[in-house]
Amino acid sequence: MSMPGSGPRSAPVARISRSAITANARAARARGVHSFSPSVFEADAWGHGAVLIREVLAAEGFVPVDAPTTLVLTTGAHAAPDRPQTPVSARELFGLEPGTTPALRLTGTVLSVKDLRAGEGVSYGYLYRASSDTRLALVTGGYAQGIVRALGGAVDVAIAGERHPIIGRVAMDVCVVEIRDAVVQRGDEVLVLGDPAAGEPSLADWVRATGLFPAELITTVGLRSIREEAP
Amino acid sequence: MTARLHVDLAALTANLDRVRTTVAPAELMLVVKDDAYGHGLDPVVRTAAAAGVNWFGAFDVRTGAAVRAVLGGGPRIFAWIAASRDDLDTAVAARLDLGIGDADLLEELVDAAHAADASVRVHLKIDTGLHRNGVRPEEWPAFVQRAAALQADGAIDVVGVWSHIAEASDAEDDDARAVYESALSEAAAAGIHPSVRHLAASAASFARPEFRYDMVRVGAFCYGIRSAGGPSADELGLAPIGRLEADVVAVGPDSVHVDLGALHGMPSSLSGRAAVGTPAGSRSLHAVGESHSLVQTWPVAAVGDTVTVFGPGAQGEGSSTDLAELIGTIGEEIAVRVSPLVPRVYER
Repeated sequence: MSMPGSGPRSAPVARISRSAITANARAARARGVHSFSPSVFEADAWGHGAVLIREVLAAEGFVPVDAPTTLVLTTGAHAAPDRPQTPVSARELFGLEPGTTPALRLTGTVLSVKDLRAGEGVSYGYLYRASSDTRLALVTGGYAQGIVRALGGAVDVAIAGERHPIIGRVAMDVCVVEIRDAVVQRGDEVLVLGDPAAGEPSLADWVRATGLFPAELITTVGLRSIREEAP
Repeated sequence: MTARLHVDLAALTANLDRVRTTVAPAELMLVVKDDAYGHGLDPVVRTAAAAGVNWFGAFDVRTGAAVRAVLGGGPRIFAWIAASRDDLDTAVAARLDLGIGDADLLEELVDAAHAADASVRVHLKIDTGLHRNGVRPEEWPAFVQRAAALQADGAIDVVGVWSHIAEASDAEDDDARAVYESALSEAAAAGIHPSVRHLAASAASFARPEFRYDMVRVGAFCYGIRSAGGPSADELGLAPIGRLEADVVAVGPDSVHVDLGALHGMPSSLSGRAAVGTPAGSRSLHAVGESHSLVQTWPVAAVGDTVTVFGPGAQGEGSSTDLAELIGTIGEEIAVRVSPLVPRVYER
């Protein structure tokens, strides 16, 4: 038996990095920001886990500001420029702004690998058809875990550092990745969301592909995947 | 937060009856993956079991074991995703029926069955064109021969042969069914005679009688979620069992604020496109924010009024599929995006 939590899982895993959140909080502090709005805890801290976020903010000496007294419709489309008196934003804290480190890392597992012949289709509606013989990996994670359906044919994942596209319709719990001649086997880890600064697939790609808010994309992933805290 | 998802369990029972009547004599497998499509696994499987449903489709072993924990020993629970040896051991212990579409996984399952000194019920999966899991047709004869040998050995009991169809077009689904028929013949030639042949999901189970075989795997229709671009729930004789609501929290000159937004799972792409239900009937959804939305106001709109985002239509709201069609997706995605933090309220 493998250690609990260490082996391949049938659902994608979202690892929330305490050190990344800490680094983002310290970067804000270095600019003189030392407060947070209670809104960072909305939707369980955008799916990152409010308990962890509270711990980091407390450890880094952040204090709450009063909630806004007027009702403001935030869309996330236009983040206000940071000012010293502005509380740290959720986007900055969770690493969704340029120059910050994403706190959430999403990985899936290769369930199986198979051949696809020229002319054959993939997944519901056969939206993808192979132009030549190729190879596919079936990977855990679908729209029920926030890998939204519109990402099929629009974004890449990475396996062992190499990029591969999601092809065909994303299903409720799985998606199909074209691996061509890459050496990939059942049980391999698939990086779905990582750090753009390291050249990894990132939430910015998803925002471009879907037009949705970063907040709603990351929140569903965090709430619906298997969530674990990482160092 | 006032947002809540009402789940009408009486409507679920009525939908189950409707589906079973439609597909008879084929049996219904109720698909309950992803927390019963967001409606709540525990109440849904209890309601279905009380209504006489005897087969549950669980996607993965984790979900299958959860169904077994709720329902106990009686019902058949089918899972078709096992990611590890741990999963296989759990499946054997929970006496799940396992869908196997990979030759290596079959060998690993036999190891797990031997280790537990158990025999496992297996449904062999042929890939009829979807190219997800499933054994390719050219590899199928060797696969079923190996399965027959393992069955003679006692570690597995092959009870099913199954596949998923792509629902790209009737003609392509017919091609897939021809592949399925060949797979059944080749299985028979190898000495495998499954008692449960299953191919169809929601849409085909209603529209294509020849796809029903012994059992159909239905999730969406049982929850009253019609197919995008397909017949209405009314035409199908089904009703949505989920109703997503929230309260008005402020009233402005042109719009009311509702405390339900994109962070609760309502896609922001519905902004300016969708209509929702109000006490005065259907009104435009002007904007979707992270935590709040703006809805076109109505005379005497008041704080505390109920706005319905999707549901059966009593307040003029559309269904989850109606919303989905506005943004190029399907009703299932709208249903499963509803945040698990939104309380589920059960009505009987």
